[in-house]
Amino acid sequence: MRIGAIVRIVPDLVMGIEIEESEIVPFKYVPNERDEHALEEAVVFKEKTGGNLEVVGIVDDELRDDEAMEEALALAYAKGADSLKKIVLNRRTFDRREVARAIADHFKDYDVVMVGIQSIDSFAGYLGGILSGVLGYSYVGGVVGVDYDGGLIVQKELGGGVVGKFRVKTPAILGVVSAERPITFVPLVKLRQAMKEMKVEEIEVEVPDMGGIEVVRFYEPEKPEITLLEGDVEELADKLVEVFKSLSLV
Amino acid sequence: MDMLLNRLKELTNNKYFQCIQCGTCGGSCPYGAYTPYTPRRMILAIRLGMVEDILNSNAQWLCTACQTCTSRCPSRIQITDGIIPALREKSLLEGKVPEELSTALINIMRYGNPFKESPMKRDGWAKELDFEVPTMMKKKSAEVLLLPECFGAYHRRCKQATKALAKVMKILEVDFAILGREERCTGDHVRLCGEFALFEDLMEKNMKVFRKYEFKYIVTHDAHAFNALKNFYGLNVLHHSQFLHDNLEKLKGMFNELDYTVTYHDSCYLGRKNGIYEEPREVIRSIPGVRFVEFKRNRENALCCGAGGGGIWLDSVMREFVKVRPAEDRVREAKEVGADVIVTGCVLDIPMFEDALKVTGLDGEIVVKDIAELVLEALEGG
Ligand code: SF4
Ligand code: SF4
Repeated sequence: MRIGAIVRIVPDLVMGIEIEESEIVPFKYVPNERDEHALEEAVVFKEKTGGNLEVVGIVDDELRDDEAMEEALALAYAKGADSLKKIVLNRRTFDRREVARAIADHFKDYDVVMVGIQSIDSFAGYLGGILSGVLGYSYVGGVVGVDYDGGLIVQKELGGGVVGKFRVKTPAILGVVSAERPITFVPLVKLRQAMKEMKVEEIEVEVPDMGGIEVVRFYEPEKPEITLLEGDVEELADKLVEVFKSLSLV
Repeated sequence: MDMLLNRLKELTNNKYFQCIQCGTCGGSCPYGAYTPYTPRRMILAIRLGMVEDILNSNAQWLCTACQTCTSRCPSRIQITDGIIPALREKSLLEGKVPEELSTALINIMRYGNPFKESPMKRDGWAKELDFEVPTMMKKKSAEVLLLPECFGAYHRRCKQATKALAKVMKILEVDFAILGREERCTGDHVRLCGEFALFEDLMEKNMKVFRKYEFKYIVTHDAHAFNALKNFYGLNVLHHSQFLHDNLEKLKGMFNELDYTVTYHDSCYLGRKNGIYEEPREVIRSIPGVRFVEFKRNRENALCCGAGGGGIWLDSVMREFVKVRPAEDRVREAKEVGADVIVTGCVLDIPMFEDALKVTGLDGEIVVKDIAELVLEALEGG
């Protein structure tokens, strides 16, 4: 079983941007949380099948040496990845179709590729789906568990708490929402060791500009109307009930 | 295995094999009746080469680092700071980490706090006060460096205690400052969980910050931070009960009467680990109107709140073994002695006991206050 997993880095929403009197402290990057789940699931799947796991970092040219990408790959190595690649994108636009097309050739040699179902820098988070379209592979999103009994069996969340089990033809791309076990902590000693020992094959990729979409205008969101409720507790409770009624909530 | 034995030798000063199998440790342990491996059995299993059996049982995680076993062991074996963390380290390296603990450790490594909060917001509690708490970055030197530690800085309830302590300092006209966003976890729980490299990394980064500024001593209301700073960082640090005690003459003149029956919970890392028993009691007793009653198990024999050594992130492991949490027993004990206030000396105690009050239905009958909160109340007139 040849397993692939994709890891990307995204702005760290925990840290945010700090605007100070004299400077703007820019945000830092972190490994994309959904990809961390995809990686964890890929590690679980490797343990189940005894397969070979290759982890592929995808990163923009200006972030190629960002420590978050190094951390993402080192975490993968420490967790048991057999080999590591880093695809460096040279691109001018941020269209996932273009990215999928550009990297597709590098995902032809796997039976299963796991990728996070979303990343906060991508509004619709559809890299996995498009990649499978370009390659002509099966695709399942919302994945929460992967098994193997000679064929691929995938558990997928269907909404409303319902989980379905599907037999999936390989090669396949799986969009992981949550690994079947929590993300395991890698102790600092192992992380440092991985950073020292890991070898990463770097691949430069030109992202084609497919055109077809042009920004006409961005709209600011409408300002919500705010009504301040005032009065003592009793009055406030009555007013709140009125508001809920007007919104058909009670 | 060699790594484990080396770690055991290092952490116990080569004493772990001097265990005489007396069983005092297991008999003293709050989890002794439930765990498949008491410290005595752990040591025996290590001798017999059955380490994996211990790790697979998860017993290494069923310990809240309360120090009771260590303080009573006739062979003076470092169980809490040695045997348990060494086994936990092996567990971590094998990737067997309980879920909540895993998340807390990932967050501490990335953000310097277990809550996945921005380090930039570490001084958020100070901004909720109606006076400015200066940062060392601005002030460069101060007599006292106030260190809230992670829970005291971010936790919704614990930061009330931090604010109370800052207010008391203001009333006492103490020249104090905080590190704000430059502060990060001091790492005592990380160490007790066996993540020694992360502990050293935190210590190195914290020491770099401490060295930038001039201060006479640190004051903290987090007993674990106090323990780490005193015994591992080697810094001049006072627990806030000591600080309040040092200022008691001045405080006494300002106290108003309170009408409470108070009991005092000895936190493990103040009492058993660092021998601080009398200072908090003297502070409480000096508040007029306060009737002081002792828990039946007090001082060296006090029962742990269950949060220490990462216990606060190990609840699901504990629940596999134990039906009643130690904190629940503890609040029932407070009821038995007729207390309506439990005064604590470590911020972690507060959420542990407040949760336990809800579980036991004693919420409303007993309240939990940090010693700084009680002192502030007496200063502000109840
Ligand atoms: S108390 Fe000390 S000597 Fe006695 S069994 Fe426990 S570890 Fe061994
Ligand atoms: S430190 Fe406390 S909880 Fe841990 S083994 Fe010793 S007595 Fe038990």
